[in-house]
Amino acid sequence: MKRDSTVYVVLFTFFVCAFFVALLAVANELTKDRVEANRRFAAQSAVLDALGIGYAARTDAETIYAERLSVSGEGSDRYYSTAIDGERHLAALVSGPGLWGTIEIMLAMDMDSSRLDGIQVLSQNETPGLGGRIDEQWFKRQFRGELIGPEGISITSGAEAAGTGDADPENSRLDGITGASRTSQAMEAIVNSGIAKLRKLPGGVQ
Amino acid sequence: MPAFSDINPIVLFFASILTSNILLSNFLGTCSFIAISKEWKSSFGLGLAVTLVIGICCAICWTVLQYLVIPLGIEYLSFIIFIIVIAAVVQMLEMVIDRYSPSLYLSLGIFLPLITVNCAVLGAVLFMQIRNYGFLQAVAFGFGAGAGWWLAIMLLAAIRKRIENNPVPAGLKGTGITLIVIGFMAMAFIGFSGMIAVQ
Amino acid sequence: MSGKYSTIIRDGLWSNNPILFQVLGICSTLAVTNSLRNTFIMTMGVTFSTAFASWNLSLMKDFIPRKVRMIMQVLVISFYVIIVDIILRAYLPEASKQLGPYVGLIITNCILMGRAEAFAAANKPVASFIDGLANGLGYTAILVGIAVVRELLGFGTLLGLRVAPANFVPMTIMIMPPSAFFLVALVAWWAKSLGIRKAAWKQPRQAPSAAR
Repeated sequence: MKRDSTVYVVLFTFFVCAFFVALLAVANELTKDRVEANRRFAAQSAVLDALGIGYAARTDAETIYAERLSVSGEGSDRYYSTAIDGERHLAALVSGPGLWGTIEIMLAMDMDSSRLDGIQVLSQNETPGLGGRIDEQWFKRQFRGELIGPEGISITSGAEAAGTGDADPENSRLDGITGASRTSQAMEAIVNSGIAKLRKLPGGVQ
Repeated sequence: MPAFSDINPIVLFFASILTSNILLSNFLGTCSFIAISKEWKSSFGLGLAVTLVIGICCAICWTVLQYLVIPLGIEYLSFIIFIIVIAAVVQMLEMVIDRYSPSLYLSLGIFLPLITVNCAVLGAVLFMQIRNYGFLQAVAFGFGAGAGWWLAIMLLAAIRKRIENNPVPAGLKGTGITLIVIGFMAMAFIGFSGMIAVQ
Repeated sequence: MSGKYSTIIRDGLWSNNPILFQVLGICSTLAVTNSLRNTFIMTMGVTFSTAFASWNLSLMKDFIPRKVRMIMQVLVISFYVIIVDIILRAYLPEASKQLGPYVGLIITNCILMGRAEAFAAANKPVASFIDGLANGLGYTAILVGIAVVRELLGFGTLLGLRVAPANFVPMTIMIMPPSAFFLVALVAWWAKSLGIRKAAWKQPRQAPSAAR
């Protein structure tokens, strides 16, 4: 058959496409369970991390999650509750618009002492290296144990040295990200809306 | 249906031109950008073509993604599907322009094949996918990203024209000085950040 | 035969280095060069896909009809890039999340198409594989260098570990996009100056014959 005849072109294209697509389908199928496990681990560890509950290994996370957390509500109203040292802690998914798209975080707080437990960033599309730094440890660590003021918390960006964060948990103020003031403001709004959301939950104040 | 982010399409359009220019802040489409920007006229043609292609591709890819890829659960093939859509759009645009406006074809035609492998097109489509835009947002983002690229290449072509006869160190001539100019342009565009609030 | 391969390797790594002398393919990776780890993963992805796509296209070159050559090249390249994406999602979920759309953008990296067109279309599979590998590694070397500078000066860290002294003030500009353009410009300047000096060094020997 001639190499440039229409029949050859069509058949060749079809078989090559079918071949590669079949290979990809196999590769996808082979890694599907693993990707799914990664996804589940990411979701569960986000709740645990936000609440500040430690776990040693991946398999550990699953058992601790099953033992200590109770999940209530459906869809966007879903929230997670647990008791740590006799105090009631709640965690829920909060999202809001960032600079480039929706930022989704897991926010946990101690309902009794009105302090944040912490946050975990689940999805964000902020500029890598700038707004994307909200997913870095130094930024997320600041939330741990931060006292919630009457106006919620504030995230200021500007002259602060990047990469260190605000160390004082009593001032209800956190360091934003230098060069990403929009993302910092967005985070402030999202966290504050999350605090309001958690307080409204049934049993929010027990 | 995925949760759409609630960014106003018009705001998104201007934001993708100025505050988050696809070339100056995401580095997409740099290769053809450097090669073509020597000339003002070709820059104009390529910029126009890129804008059209990105806008149309974002619209088509969004539709394909929502009504074909996601329902069939073949997200892992999305890269191939997107690149085929882009190639097809470029081919189609080439034929349409050739048919209806030979003069435009003369000025645009040679750039069209180049666009299939222009990272800015696939980049815009992938950003659109990962950011979960709605249809209007996707279209606004696509045209905005294209227009931003267009603006950047026109500015660069103008600057390159001005510095053509300047005493640049021999080793820095050509690509080197162009990259430095792009760097300064990127710094200038940082000045826009915060001007447009994407909510 | 081995002499031929070493020429291919030298070309890719140095004398025809895609970034130094052609400024090709920086689009997809430059954006992540403010983190050494991400840069390394990205450039490894580029190297892997370039090598295998070149090898595969060279194998197929006698069977591909002219009319669909371009789309076949894109198809094969996409295939390997999707493999990279699947591997990252399964084994390095964190990195995959951070890199986001940039992994997919390897498809439009000019180096992949460039090597497929310029080398694999006219050479044997093994030579094409080595060519792709060498070009990928040449690309990796430069971008990893840029990433080291950007992460070190921008964050004071390397691979996320703090290496700078406590009183180090991070240079925010290094995290921002412009610095990447400046650094590539510096590297290209250095490479071109070297080339000019080499040419000037060769000149005197030819000069007498030209004068006569």
